[in-house]
Amino acid sequence: MSGAADQAPVLEVDGLQAHFRTRYFGVNREVRAVDGVSFTVRRNEIYGLAGESSSGKTTLVKTIAGLLKPPLEMVGGSARFSFLPEWDAVGRAPPEVVRGIRWRHLSYIMQGSMNVLNPLRRIRYSFRDFAWRHLGGSKSEFDARAEAHLERVKLDPSVLDAYPHELSGGMRQRVTIALATICKPEFIIADEPTTALDVIVQKDVLAMLRSIQREMGSSVLFITHDMGVHAALTDRLGIMYAGRLVEDGETAEIFAQPLHPYTRHLIASLPRIGDTEQREGLEGTPPNLAEPPPGCRFHPRCPLAMPICATTVPAMVATMPGHRVACHAVNPGMAA
Amino acid sequence: MLTILRDLLRYNIEFRIGLVLVSIVLVMAALSLVAPYPPGDVYLVPPDLPPSSAHWLGTTSRGQDVFWQLTFAIRNTLSFGIMVALLSRVIALVVGLLAGYSGGWIDRVLMSINDTFIIIPLFPILILFYFVLRDTMSTPLLATIMACLGWAYDARLIRSVALSLKTREFTQTSIFSGMKTHEILAREHLPYVMPIVFSTTMNNMNWSIGIEVTLAVLGFTDINTPTIGGMIYWANQHTALVAGIWWWIAFPVGLVVMTFVGLFLLAVSMNEYIDPRSRLARMGGSR
Repeated sequence: MSGAADQAPVLEVDGLQAHFRTRYFGVNREVRAVDGVSFTVRRNEIYGLAGESSSGKTTLVKTIAGLLKPPLEMVGGSARFSFLPEWDAVGRAPPEVVRGIRWRHLSYIMQGSMNVLNPLRRIRYSFRDFAWRHLGGSKSEFDARAEAHLERVKLDPSVLDAYPHELSGGMRQRVTIALATICKPEFIIADEPTTALDVIVQKDVLAMLRSIQREMGSSVLFITHDMGVHAALTDRLGIMYAGRLVEDGETAEIFAQPLHPYTRHLIASLPRIGDTEQREGLEGTPPNLAEPPPGCRFHPRCPLAMPICATTVPAMVATMPGHRVACHAVNPGMAA
Repeated sequence: MLTILRDLLRYNIEFRIGLVLVSIVLVMAALSLVAPYPPGDVYLVPPDLPPSSAHWLGTTSRGQDVFWQLTFAIRNTLSFGIMVALLSRVIALVVGLLAGYSGGWIDRVLMSINDTFIIIPLFPILILFYFVLRDTMSTPLLATIMACLGWAYDARLIRSVALSLKTREFTQTSIFSGMKTHEILAREHLPYVMPIVFSTTMNNMNWSIGIEVTLAVLGFTDINTPTIGGMIYWANQHTALVAGIWWWIAFPVGLVVMTFVGLFLLAVSMNEYIDPRSRLARMGGSR
């Protein structure tokens, strides 16, 4: 599927660690929400991130985007963008530099993006507030550009004069996507952009996102826990569990041949046409990230757990070209 | 905006009464522009005449026509109230929005100052200012002092709204898109707090007019500028009530009461428009 994808990486994440640190009344708490994640996103591809709630997906992309606010801290590793070669992470670059790349090079479709639009301001002003500064030019030029761009997402230009509450959920979603893509950014982070929509609108919006991405040749980091969306949209897929990446590779291959026991369960949990039986869930719950289990974080729930799993963190190793997995059962003896 | 006004007029009796009262007061104030007598001069008309067709509200012991004097007085009192309200709104908005949005030490410092202003006793301080500035005390100066003392409650109110706005997605997106703090406050958060500001403006005008009248009646303001309180002050100086010149006191008091009630009703009905819960309560929906 990634035939069109250029091999040059746009984003290289290496050993990224982001922790929530709080100090109250002398008690230090550290939640290791993202702990040593490495992956790359190539030009002109959609990289999906999957994982259950609280597996650190949103924290990971916030760190990558440099949206670090206490108590979230970037502790180690790097997340290097090709358009920001001098700095090893957006969060470490000075604010002026960051302001310069945001929206033009890097844009972010937020989680719950239904509420990204200020309900008291017409869409036109949201466009001007967020994007005009990055594009420059006169007001009428910018408005013309916004109208043309809205047409690309199949919205009438009159939407610009509407308030957000006058639009349906799907239309609002298109507006936020238009807003995030109007500057033709090289990299778009989409954090569960379609979770609140019904499947039919979702399909439309995803197809539109795909066509815009193809047209502009940008890269998308797409997050959702919905494996169906990943199967339909993404070129490559990374599976997160408890703050770590456990497997990544081409989406089709992961669905056809999942290697990590967690991924296998995730894919086995998807309903198939003709199913008559209840699907079995995995026993247990994701671990508390303030005190994660030692070794492989999945071992307390893993059906294949071995003694080594409780002591040694498995390394992320390419078992096949372009398909990496972190599991002692798959790659015996590879410790991180 | 026009539809809102029309609906308020149609369905809200408080708004209707308030609007009528405030209109009467505004017409009075506007009439000062066509007054036949200069406001500062005395003994222009025969003193102590009761209300009649020649002098509608009678004349004072100082030889002034009460009706025309009242037009100047209410204009000065109203403009004083507006001055205080506008100035203190600016301070309250800046402090409230900045404290709520910034949080951390900025919030703590601003709110400490804010709470200081809430608890300091206002009246003795104003009297102190009068004694210190006696000769230079003027209406604009007093308005500035009052504005500096009267913003604190509303700043806290605005801060509480700003606290919740800070966590909304559109604020996050604004930050991400590279908007600076002052842009976020002015463009994204200000529209949210404007209804509160409108409503508190009326209350703040009432409050400042009340204080001004109190100070003027006691003679702690510039008594040569005609204001409602100033008129009552002069009436007291001439023992108007004892002498039976009741119209000299009754009409200024009546007019200022009309101003209070009118502004209060407007504030209440506006609040009802802003807050859907009080609209529900009116419909009996909150039970």
